[in-house]
Amino acid sequence: MKKLIALLLALIMVFALVACGEATPETSENPPATTDETPTGEEVTITIWTYPIGKFGDDATMVELIGKFEAAHPGIKVEHELIDYTNGDTQVTSAITGGGTPDIIMEGPERLVTNWGKNGVMVDLSDLWTEEITADIAATSEAVVSACQYNGVYYEYPLCMTTHCMAINYEVFEQAGALQYIDEETRTWSTDDFVSAMEAVRDSGLVAVPGIIYCGGQGGDQGTRALVNNLYSGTYTNADHTEYTANSAENVQALQLLVDMVGSGALNANAGFQATEELQQFANGTCAVTFCWNASNKTNYAEQVTFTPFAMAFPTDDGVPELCGGIWGFGIFDNGSDAKIEAAKDFIRFVCDDETQAAESVRLTGFFPVRASLGNVYAGTEQEADAEEFLKLMPFLGDYYNVIGGWSEQRTNWFNMLQNVFITGTDPQTAADEFVEASNANIG
Amino acid sequence: MAQTAVAGTGRKPAPPKMDSHGRSRALARRETVSAYLFLLPSLIFFIGFVVVPMGICFVYSFLDMGINKAATTFVGFANYIEMWNDKTFWQGFWNTVLIVVVSVPAVTAFSLWVGNSIYKMKPIPRSFYRCVFYLPVVTGTVAVTVVWKWMFNPYNGLLNQVTGNIGFDWLGNPHTAIWCIIMILFTTSIGQPIVLYVAALGNVDQSLVEAAEVDGATRRQVFWRIKWPQIMPTTLYILIITTINSFQCFALIQLLTSGGPSGTTSTIMYYIFDMAYKYNRFGYANAMGVILALIIAAFSAVQFKLAKTDNA
Repeated sequence: MKKLIALLLALIMVFALVACGEATPETSENPPATTDETPTGEEVTITIWTYPIGKFGDDATMVELIGKFEAAHPGIKVEHELIDYTNGDTQVTSAITGGGTPDIIMEGPERLVTNWGKNGVMVDLSDLWTEEITADIAATSEAVVSACQYNGVYYEYPLCMTTHCMAINYEVFEQAGALQYIDEETRTWSTDDFVSAMEAVRDSGLVAVPGIIYCGGQGGDQGTRALVNNLYSGTYTNADHTEYTANSAENVQALQLLVDMVGSGALNANAGFQATEELQQFANGTCAVTFCWNASNKTNYAEQVTFTPFAMAFPTDDGVPELCGGIWGFGIFDNGSDAKIEAAKDFIRFVCDDETQAAESVRLTGFFPVRASLGNVYAGTEQEADAEEFLKLMPFLGDYYNVIGGWSEQRTNWFNMLQNVFITGTDPQTAADEFVEASNANIG
Repeated sequence: MAQTAVAGTGRKPAPPKMDSHGRSRALARRETVSAYLFLLPSLIFFIGFVVVPMGICFVYSFLDMGINKAATTFVGFANYIEMWNDKTFWQGFWNTVLIVVVSVPAVTAFSLWVGNSIYKMKPIPRSFYRCVFYLPVVTGTVAVTVVWKWMFNPYNGLLNQVTGNIGFDWLGNPHTAIWCIIMILFTTSIGQPIVLYVAALGNVDQSLVEAAEVDGATRRQVFWRIKWPQIMPTTLYILIITTINSFQCFALIQLLTSGGPSGTTSTIMYYIFDMAYKYNRFGYANAMGVILALIIAAFSAVQFKLAKTDNA
């Protein structure tokens, strides 16, 4: 009798385990028939993951957007999940390796194209790129068109773009007498003026530290890259995006200048900070500049700042800044279901191309449309004044080198290189050479 | 009755077969089968979530594998050879050893001291102290690190404000960062050992303690000769779990320093994560995982050997 009960108990547990085991694939590879493969018009459920790109990182906004889409496409249900830049990549990698990728993901070409697309886990979106649309996007920037494809296959359908810049605390600069070193009209300054301005801020004692070179992680590394590259007009990669060039004489000279500025107290290097922490110190008024600024950050920190954050191009020796660009759009993971892929494409078309929605979608990001036909989407809106500030910097958009191979690997190498230069005192040339060697090894 | 029935057949009844403990073999078999059946559900989970992943990890360690599974190739021992020559791996290894060597004795000794100090207290103050020390354990790691990060903030953090050391970057300095990690790890590791020691000390046979005291033993002698042997199994358990936790210290490092500055807080565990999720080199990461498991097993075996008692 005891044996029978034991057997029964064990069988119950085994069945429970099997039942639990079967529940998992519903969200990934083998969804139930009711939400997939619906030639007869049954409901299709798709999932979308978004990084915090403007208000695409806001749940309420996404619920509203999805509601509009579902009203226009009654047969499709969309589930949204927000991921952050600290853990998002890990989540996506886990999803790719373990199953359970979303149908749609919103990010930039460095992830969608160069990483996931190149590795064969994304869907070819070439059918979304009609001739008319391609021409429309190319009219804004040819770089966007080329960035969204790998080997002629489009893995991203872009929505918006911007330039990453820096910002100064206008009032501190004014009181420190440092405004004389910047061109307020063009929002540019020379390398020498940058040094003078930071020294003036340092000498004023108005802030705890004039500026912080953050190198505690990869977060916001576009700021430190742009700073180093612009000071003496260096480049990050070659023109073909086949080789890293951060160890060029210009870049090494820039690194040495920054080391000297840290030594003189005109800047501070911080290996415990990533961009988020540096931005917080800027918003607190602890430092007078931030190297990680854009429209989205301005919106995010608007309620915290008690001064005027004044967007600036990065300082450069030749008067022609080359700012890092940001392109954001959508990609589709290949989850093996044609119905889901088609539904995902419908969602992308709605968000990016729909006559009534496209401009609103761009406004939600706080950035600028990649499609020239959309014009100034901020005209006549509350955001117009803020947008004008960043629109002035758009002509300084530099090479979109983020499409080079080994992108995610080089991000780790970059902040490690900065730590070696600024914290452990490694010679800039040696550190930059090590960075290039390690990063080139991953281009593939 | 049975005897009568057998007698009717004209044969002697066969004696029941006995095992070495003098039990009926049939009874022993029944009990064994029952025991295994009761263990079966746990065994299934253990095999499914521990043994099989370990096997997969071992197999993957011989592959060059990334996101693109179609490009996976067998590389034999290449990952292990690369690891041997990888200076970042060795930096992580020595950092890991430092964390273990400092953290394990410190956590064990402090927990024993606190446990010994509070186990005789009245229930309310004893529970209070247990709660205080257990709080960092039940508080989420993210919350704990956010608070510590704020305290270590070089410009407006509590630590520098109190010491007047504005601008000093505790987590960004190669000489202090690893010690900050060890300290935070210490605060989050002592909760469970303290609770275990309080329970273990409470279960020490008081008659032996009283007998020793009557015989004139000092407090120190009572502790080391009477209590210590009796709490040795608990100590062994604490040593093992603290060692494993220290070897696997990851979240603190990821959230506080990302292994920096210049790799001074990188551990094997963090490097495994880095390789898997930033470099997408799953084969190499698995090879490091295998080595980490072997190192932990070796440390644990040494601890078992050294702390072995009759009842341990």
